[in-house]
Amino acid sequence: METEREVFGNFKPELIPEECSGDINDYEEALHVLMKFMGSMSSALEQVSGRGANAIVYQAGKRMGHEAGKLVEKTDDLEKAMQELSEILGIEFYFEMWKPSNQAEYTIEKGNETIVKLIFRDCVVRQTLRRTGLRQKGPLCYLLYGYTVGAVEEVMGIKGKLDIDHVGPNACLKTLTIKWGGK
Amino acid sequence: MVKIKIDEEACVGCGSCVDDCPNDVYKLDEKKGKSTVVNEEDCMACLSCHEICPAQAMEHQDIHVAKRLYIDRKVNEVIRKIL
Repeated sequence: METEREVFGNFKPELIPEECSGDINDYEEALHVLMKFMGSMSSALEQVSGRGANAIVYQAGKRMGHEAGKLVEKTDDLEKAMQELSEILGIEFYFEMWKPSNQAEYTIEKGNETIVKLIFRDCVVRQTLRRTGLRQKGPLCYLLYGYTVGAVEEVMGIKGKLDIDHVGPNACLKTLTIKWGGK
Repeated sequence: MVKIKIDEEACVGCGSCVDDCPNDVYKLDEKKGKSTVVNEEDCMACLSCHEICPAQAMEHQDIHVAKRLYIDRKVNEVIRKIL
């Protein structure tokens, strides 16, 4: 059956729509267009700016993370922060803490640093990269890097960094290092 | 818990999975010339070994399968018709 493309009706700019228009096909189409657009932006950025592309995307992600972090309660409890971070990132960035079997706790204390390994199981960035045939660990991965760091910094009021340890088609392992002692 | 099966008939013993896995889940059995699972509990189901295995000799069971939104549903419909 032919999809109806045009919707006719009355519209005033000040009105808030009572319901979203479109069905799942429209959303899927929009998602795929956005994925292609993001992939294309990422590879163009890399082509023009080289390794500087990572820094640009990281900064964009960090800003988003700081904004998102403002919406949740501040805490200095790392596990609580991870829980809140998980809520901020939402179901499209489903992650959990991870540790190898020979390690007792999820967190490792090293001087004034706390290290925790995070495994990202669902990730829209990974979906986008696979949709557009781009490699993982590229500039677009730095968006999530910045986003996570920005949100952690906002929620815990400390400095953090996220290193990408390993990437795979089904999950990615990252190390979050937070530095106690203020920004 | 993750369960990993290696199809010994398919495995060519190239050792790519051994080199690729960051958690040393696999080891090359030098007698058999095949890859074997030695550290299953540390598998995080990233499935990079699936991607690197030239023989597609692996199967992971009981894992969180990440969403595959990148595949167009229309493509799935076509594939289902063909299969």
